[in-house]
Amino acid sequence: MRTACLRVAELPLAAQLRARPELRGSPWAVVSDPGPRGELVAVSPEAARRGVRRLTSLAHARAVCPQLVAHTASPALDRAARAALLDAALACSPRAAPAPRASGVYAAEAAVFVDASGVSSLFQSERGFATALVARAGKLGLPATVAIASSRSVAHIAARSLTNAEDCRVLPAGTESAFLSRLPIDILDVDDAVAEKLTRFGVRNVGDLLALPRRALARRLGPDVLRLVARANGQEGDPPLPAAAGGPLSEAQDLEFPMDRLEPLTFVLQGMLSRLLERLEARQRACADLLLDLHLEGGGRDARRIGVAAASLDLRVLMRLVGHALEARPPRAPVVGVALASEGRAVERDQLDLFRPAGPAPTALGETLAALQVLCGNDRVGAPGVPDDHRPDAFAMRPFPLRKQRALDPMPPPPARSCLAVRSLRPPVSAQVWLHRGLPERIRSAVANGQVVHVAGPWRITGGWWAPEQRFAYDHFDVQTSDGIVSRLRLDHVRKRWQIDAVYD
Amino acid sequence: MLGGGVPRGRLSELAGPLSSGRTSLALSLLAGATRRGEIVAVVDGADAFDPASAQAAGVQLDHLLWVRPPRVREALRSSERLLEAHGFALVLLDPPDEPIAPAAWQRLARAASATGTALVTLSTRRVAGTCADLAIELKPTRAHFTGTPALLEELEIEVALMRHRSGPVARSTALRLHTHRAA
Repeated sequence: MRTACLRVAELPLAAQLRARPELRGSPWAVVSDPGPRGELVAVSPEAARRGVRRLTSLAHARAVCPQLVAHTASPALDRAARAALLDAALACSPRAAPAPRASGVYAAEAAVFVDASGVSSLFQSERGFATALVARAGKLGLPATVAIASSRSVAHIAARSLTNAEDCRVLPAGTESAFLSRLPIDILDVDDAVAEKLTRFGVRNVGDLLALPRRALARRLGPDVLRLVARANGQEGDPPLPAAAGGPLSEAQDLEFPMDRLEPLTFVLQGMLSRLLERLEARQRACADLLLDLHLEGGGRDARRIGVAAASLDLRVLMRLVGHALEARPPRAPVVGVALASEGRAVERDQLDLFRPAGPAPTALGETLAALQVLCGNDRVGAPGVPDDHRPDAFAMRPFPLRKQRALDPMPPPPARSCLAVRSLRPPVSAQVWLHRGLPERIRSAVANGQVVHVAGPWRITGGWWAPEQRFAYDHFDVQTSDGIVSRLRLDHVRKRWQIDAVYD
Repeated sequence: MLGGGVPRGRLSELAGPLSSGRTSLALSLLAGATRRGEIVAVVDGADAFDPASAQAAGVQLDHLLWVRPPRVREALRSSERLLEAHGFALVLLDPPDEPIAPAAWQRLARAASATGTALVTLSTRRVAGTCADLAIELKPTRAHFTGTPALLEELEIEVALMRHRSGPVARSTALRLHTHRAA
């Protein structure tokens, strides 16, 4: 099976650079601990040019290069970068899997194996596929290299052997042994004990290993060395790569200092959301509901779900939704870590209907709904509904359907006569009412004033008796006052007050 | 009276005091559009939309987008956003009873003209001026309370066409609006 290996050589560097693109071109390093005794885990090329080396202390590195910027290693950022690399692979091929974590000199790398069988028909050639993979990873902020070979291990080795000048290599089937024979033995990811013995035998490169008799090798170094030889020959039996799994895509970041104000937190979230949207786009999805998980100082957590009415890839709109959610309920303690996830939803395509007028396109409608939610609030945009409730002012608001689940059945006939509608007054307007024989005689209010000309009622409506806070008991009257206004007046028996809750209009 | 309903891509105005029937007339426009399968929107800045009345008037509620902006500024911006979405047959703007700058009406009229959407606004008096291609004024004439015990049966209103950019004006007609019980 033709397999591609998509590889990032220095993941801690790439992960930090992905979150902080402003560091590009400056001398900076990743440290294990923010204190002066912290050890440099990874060093940027610019810092390396100025003499800063890995595994030295931060104090020493600062003595060598005073301009050095240090950022603490973030396992959350590394995890997100690894996941983004897998997304880049899945944007180009339906089957991909992360490579097992390497140790030793390759401990900082991240690699993904990608099914490259039959890709020539889509990408013109295997090289075209490799170039597309590199471009996609670059779009997600990851400087990657790609090698394609007949087995995972050879593809992996070929990717490791790429120099800075080239970013992809394709090994045609049958040329693997010839390619590997020139490379040093370390490239086979040999464990230290075996590597030491091989060095003692004078085995320097893969070609030397392949030249040795296998039986003798197995007798001296154990049967595990045969797996090494099979790897060097490109003859490993690889299991099939799995198809893309569902589930939410997540971006996380450990903050270097606790954030107690919303403005800097929003700034961090904007970067994370931007990276999440790029990954969702790579997977041909749009952002649906957002799951925001804030890690608070002192060990607390603040998890919340931010509803998105219509899946969108518009950063500005989604960021305003996040901002509204945070302003409505700010975190109760300083934030030390953030995780943002979204399930993602397929981008909807619209099929026009021959027999109905075309409405707004689902994408445009989705973006409009999201913008309106930001403008007016989440619970103030939707399709109206009439709930099964005795209260005359009861109403419901449901999510507005984006697609064609709207009725296909024939429409009901129009009402035979023009209907008189009511204008609701929310909240109801207080009224001062003078009575005569139990009926309103004169009204004073902000809506209707004057002598009552006509009155109908009362109609008593009661309910909610099972819960004191929901209990209601109204006497409703339809009244026309001398100023010409026909209104719906009610006597609230529970709170002992008169109100106008609607006007006939 | 209008000879074809409210114009698409134009701003129309229904003006009248409370109990003049402007809401009923607006709901009948929404009902007509949704019965044709079109999508409509109500920008309910006054927070006065009653879903039960709309349903009784024949509006297909699942074809109607209800937006409840908290202030007049959001109401105007929501209307503009809906017009920009292209595809809504009718956007009904019911702003709160607060002053709106003439420039805002010009902006809305211009946004409507770039689309095929009819923008209809409700107000207690004419506010859009020359920005509106169509202006209708309504006033209540009489409310009928009949029977024993008395019931509100119908509301009589007078509808006058005050401005029509492509037709004759100063025509009026009487309308009877029946309550749900009588309809």
